[in-house]
Amino acid sequence: MSAPARTRRSPARPPRSADALNRPALRIGPASWPWRPRAALVCLAVTVLLAAAFLRALVAFDSADVGLAEVTAVLLGGGDPGQRFIVWELRMPRALTGALVGAALGLSGAILQSVARNPLASPDTLGIGWGAAIGAVAVIVLGGSAGGVSGAAAQFGVPAGAIAGGLAAALAVFGLSWRSGVHSNRLLLVGIAVSLTCANLVYWLMTWTDLDSAARAQTWVTGSLHAADWDRAGAAAVTLAVLIPAALAAGRALGALGLGDDAARGLGVRVDAARLVLLAVSALLVCVATSAAGPINFVALAAPQIAMRLCRAAQPPPAASMLLGGALTLVADQLAAGLFAPTQLPVGVFTAVLGAPYLMYLIVLRHREARL
Amino acid sequence: MTSEPPTGGPERLRAERVTLAYGDNVISHELDFAVADREVTAIIGPNGCGKSTLLRALGRLLRPDAGRIVLDGRPIRSVPPREAARTVAVLPQSPQAPPGLAVADLVARGRHPHQSWYRQWSGTDQEAVARALELTGMLDCAERTLEQLSGGQRQRAWISMALAQETDLLLLDEPTTFLDLAHQIEVLDLVRELNERHGRTVVMVLHDLNLAARYSHRLVAMSRGAVRAAGTAEEVLTPDLLAEVFGLRCAVIADPVSGTPLVVPVSAHDPVPDTAGSPAASPSEG
Repeated sequence: MSAPARTRRSPARPPRSADALNRPALRIGPASWPWRPRAALVCLAVTVLLAAAFLRALVAFDSADVGLAEVTAVLLGGGDPGQRFIVWELRMPRALTGALVGAALGLSGAILQSVARNPLASPDTLGIGWGAAIGAVAVIVLGGSAGGVSGAAAQFGVPAGAIAGGLAAALAVFGLSWRSGVHSNRLLLVGIAVSLTCANLVYWLMTWTDLDSAARAQTWVTGSLHAADWDRAGAAAVTLAVLIPAALAAGRALGALGLGDDAARGLGVRVDAARLVLLAVSALLVCVATSAAGPINFVALAAPQIAMRLCRAAQPPPAASMLLGGALTLVADQLAAGLFAPTQLPVGVFTAVLGAPYLMYLIVLRHREARL
Repeated sequence: MTSEPPTGGPERLRAERVTLAYGDNVISHELDFAVADREVTAIIGPNGCGKSTLLRALGRLLRPDAGRIVLDGRPIRSVPPREAARTVAVLPQSPQAPPGLAVADLVARGRHPHQSWYRQWSGTDQEAVARALELTGMLDCAERTLEQLSGGQRQRAWISMALAQETDLLLLDEPTTFLDLAHQIEVLDLVRELNERHGRTVVMVLHDLNLAARYSHRLVAMSRGAVRAAGTAEEVLTPDLLAEVFGLRCAVIADPVSGTPLVVPVSAHDPVPDTAGSPAASPSEG
């Protein structure tokens, strides 16, 4: 006697059943989702953190004296041309790029870790990040000849190189580890091998080239948001506007996939197709992020694990991981830019400094909870 | 085509001359098998005889190299996976869950074939999960994680997940492995209840011949990838067949509790008992 979905507590039903099970649904029109108060609270808190970090990024990155009052005026359409330039052309693209790149990395990490059923799976360990790096560094080093990269090569060449390199690495890793299905350990082993190979090629390229190109390549390889402009932010925003909804929609299969291939097939999931789509989308997310800001380490590894523990979920929650990735990157960038001012450290240095202790704290805490 | 008409009712699931293989390793060659509506069928046979492989093929987990699986008259290849998953639920042999997964969340994943991207959870899903947990007596453990359960409870949690799929057909691969006798009976009593009270058709792979005889309408004995015998427990569990299939001398007597055949293995050191060779005493249970 299954009454229509209106029931959450219908008195006509026998006493136990649905009432005894605390898994309510959240309905909006014809759509409905599981209502998880804890996950919703985490998402809300992280969104507030993200918004605060974004606003903070608009107020101060540089030494220019444009404070909260001026920024508010500019955002509302006022301010003088100089202030407008600083807020709209310098700070806004950087903040936007940071948030988008972090979000893409967090989401990608959540998917990769779920698919590989291993918390170590991330763009860093699967070679996608270093693959993208080798593409970009190759363009910087080879494309620029003596005079360094300029014009079209700088604008399109480096991002295109990063995307091509990242996709090539992802293809190599997934192709080499594919043997009638993807096995988690093989995926990680091949990924680490490809990752180390690419990293060493990058260092070789940098030693081989002249000092000037090597310095530029070094800045890029560390991962930084200094050079963010509207071209990069815009390109990232447009591609992510497509990729993020695609990833979240494809992510519906992650729950079933987490029970193993046989169980997932039994639940009606086209396992190979679903996994291929998920891996492709997460590789593309990483490539877009890397092409915009260089390889930013650790966000894709830490954000999903932190989000999972905050939500008390068994698998990394995609939406919360995405928000947390954005927040983590923005906060790290501000610390990197502000802590040793006027020296601006690349954001990549600080994501690990910020994320690692917190992740370790959570792991130790959760270990005490006796739920492994 | 050659599969004998089953006794219980219309055929629900049928394997037609299927050849099953893992790569080049052919397990079964042109196998026929049929499942009748509202029956409990147990597949028995020695290790490596192809029982689980057949069950995997029936449950769409393994694609036959030749032949076809037919579900309710339709070749299962032409049935969309989600639709098939609303008719047939499979419990694989050693399913894995991410650590820390709560029972209710495991069972909720059984609702996957009923959901869509915009309707990921509804009151109907909640009720189905609650019903499944109630059937298996696991409602009180809903918020515990799988690691906190005993082996029998864990098996019941997984069965609940298959039940939450709300399918007519249930395929269970060795649902009693790793369980002590009490928990085996607990799981099999649940299977019987699902069949008798809720009209579910069940196919299960079992190792314990006596429990298979007691809890199923039909036994299918396999060896080396082929079906050697199919029918009631009395028809299948004969000393001759057991010698052929398992290579073991056995005495078959009537189970003092259920009246179904009771297989007593005879080792090489035992004297040959008188009862060996005599058919089981009583007809099948009600």
